[in-house]
Parts: sequence; structure tokens; C-alpha cells
Amino acid sequence: MKTIAFANQKGGVGKTTTAVTLAHGLALRGLRTLLVDLDPQGHVAYALGLPKSNGLYRLVCLGEPLGKVVVSARPNLDIIPGDKHTEKVKRHITLSDFRETILSDQLQRSGYQVVLLDMAPSLDVLHVNGLIASDWVLIPTRLDALAVDGVKEILSTMGEMSSRGHKFLGYSILPTFFDRTTRETLAQLKELVQAFGSRVWPPIPQDTRVRESAAYGKTVWEYTPETSATQGYPNGKQRIGGYQQTLDRLVEVIGV
Amino acid sequence: MSDLKLQRRPLLDPAVADLINDMEQKQAESMLPRREREKKSRERAKIEARRDQRATYDLPPAVRKQVKDLAEELRLPASQLVTLALVRFLKAYEAGTIDLSPYLHSSASPRYDWNLVLPEELLPAAPKKKTRKG
Repeated sequence: MKTIAFANQKGGVGKTTTAVTLAHGLALRGLRTLLVDLDPQGHVAYALGLPKSNGLYRLVCLGEPLGKVVVSARPNLDIIPGDKHTEKVKRHITLSDFRETILSDQLQRSGYQVVLLDMAPSLDVLHVNGLIASDWVLIPTRLDALAVDGVKEILSTMGEMSSRGHKFLGYSILPTFFDRTTRETLAQLKELVQAFGSRVWPPIPQDTRVRESAAYGKTVWEYTPETSATQGYPNGKQRIGGYQQTLDRLVEVIGV
Repeated sequence: MSDLKLQRRPLLDPAVADLINDMEQKQAESMLPRREREKKSRERAKIEARRDQRATYDLPPAVRKQVKDLAEELRLPASQLVTLALVRFLKAYEAGTIDLSPYLHSSASPRYDWNLVLPEELLPAAPKKKTRKG
């Protein structure tokens, strides 16, 4: 089992959209996938056309078995949904012993090939739990100064965890809402690449179809699989960026 | 030390490098005077439009030269001459008037079953290589 966290302390950078899209993409490639919503907004279920519910609360606070709280979202794709009760999960974890590894312990024997954690834009005990449980961290970011600062923050948190003995397989930075026509985008991308080199993955083009798909409760693979957000920009006979290329990179680095 | 195979690590993702190059090129173009910008844009559109028409095949140098010479003699594009030759061949093949079997030799490549080995008399004489003495 490999666990991937989607994290950035800045909100609105496309964490949930990326997590939902890649989770369904992995499921479509035949991998048994679990997507866990660690954000009290509960948007994972919503994006998949399902009702929000307190799955995470029941798992962590009420001690219900994993099999009872997961919801089947698509073939090969289950989710642990969240809602406002997720706030109570944070309080519960804060008062528990061995609190940093509670989530990791719960997911350890889940039997899925890949587990994806959609993290909230915060730095609380649930966030730390998510990072401790993860092998790989994917950091979606808009190419603006505030979001890029969020990347540095999350990396500094990961650095602290590594210094206390947690071993990450690695991390990648995924530019989202990419608009290649502006100078600011190019300037920010170059800065990011200068600082993080090959850890910066090809970007996800800005694409209204992605917002539309969420409104219909469909993933982009279902709503509009041939759009630029999935297929990237044309570059001669090849394509650059898009979720399809992100999936290829992800499967390669986590080795599933 | 000499047995050690060293491999340079990529500094950045190749797709990201391509994207940055492309964006830099477009940004540089946007600074050009209007006329030059329009010219570049037309050139790019022309290249894009021709992309599906382009193909790369290996040809014996003698055949290549013969096509080039004939195109020059007839004062028309070599691509159009080759297109005509291929269309005529494909039609003849479909009509069954061309038999490939005398030229088929089994191939050792895992990719192909056969090689087409053409007899020398079918090919034009190889062009003479230029010497220093001319």
C-alpha cells in the first residue's frame, strides 16, 4: 500500500480537485484506491456526486471498522467522506495518546493498493497525522506568490517531521490553474523550477470544464476526458501537462 | 573508477523544460514589432498545418537522388512527385498488379516478419561520391 497526501497550507489551490481526479484516474487504471477526506468542508464526496457524511468521525472517534465507514464512489474507488464532524476528530486526536500516528494506524491494514489523503489548508493535528501516514506528498500550487509561500511552509513542516525520524519517499510540486499566456506565470514557474528542479511536475492547465464537472458531481474523466486539464497543452505531436501526465508520473514514483 | 557508469541527473522535468522554452519563445515574440510578430505567427500556423503531412522514411541514396533530379527537371516539388509515385504504387498493389513475394526475405527483427530486398537491377545506379579531385 502506498499513501499520498495532497497538501498545501494555502487554500483554493486545487487540492481536492487534484485528489479526486487522480484517485479516479488510479481506479480507472485498475488500482484499488481509497480517498480520505481530512477537510471539514467535506468536498470529496460532493465532487463525486455523493452526500457529505461523517465517515472520518465514525472511524476515528466512534471506533467503527474501516469497512463500515467507506463509501463506494466508483468501481475500484472508495472514499472515507468528511463533514463538519471532522472538527471533532481533531479534538479527539488532540486528547489521545500516540496522537500523531492514529490515522496511520487506522489505514495500515486497509487492504487498498493506494490511499490518497485530501488535506485541509491548515496546520493542525489532523494535518500532521496525514503527513505521518503518507509516503509521498503532492503539493498542488497556483503560480502566485501566496500559494508558492504555502509550498515552502509545507516543506518546512515535512522537514521537521523528517528530522524526527519520519521517512517520506519524496514529494512533488504540481502547478495548477496554469495560464501560460501571462508573464507572471512564467516568472513564478521559473522561480519554482530554480528552487525545486525536477520536483516540479508539468502543470495542470486552467480549464473551466473542471469546475463544471464538480458542479455535476462527475470527475473530469467522466465529464470531459479530452479536455486540456486532463490532456495538457499540445506540443507538436506530444502533450505537456494535464492530469494524465500527472498520473503517469505518480504511478512511476510510488511504484504501484 | 573507469567501470563506474555515471549518469547526469536531470535538473528539471523534460516536459516542464519544453514548456518553459515554449513560453519564453512566445514571450520574446510578443516584444517584436507587429509585422515580424505576424510573420512568425503565419510561419507557425504553416508548420502546424503541415505537421500531419510530414513523414520520415529511409530511402536508398540513389532513389532519393533520382527523385530530386526529376523534380528539378520538371520544376515541381519533390514531395508531390513522391506522392504521385506512392499513390500509383498503392493503386497498383490494390489492383493486384504488383507482387511483393519475389522480394520478401524473412527478418530477424522482433518488430517485423519480413524485409523487402530489392534486386540491384531494380534500383538506379548509386550516385558517385564526390572526391577532392572532383
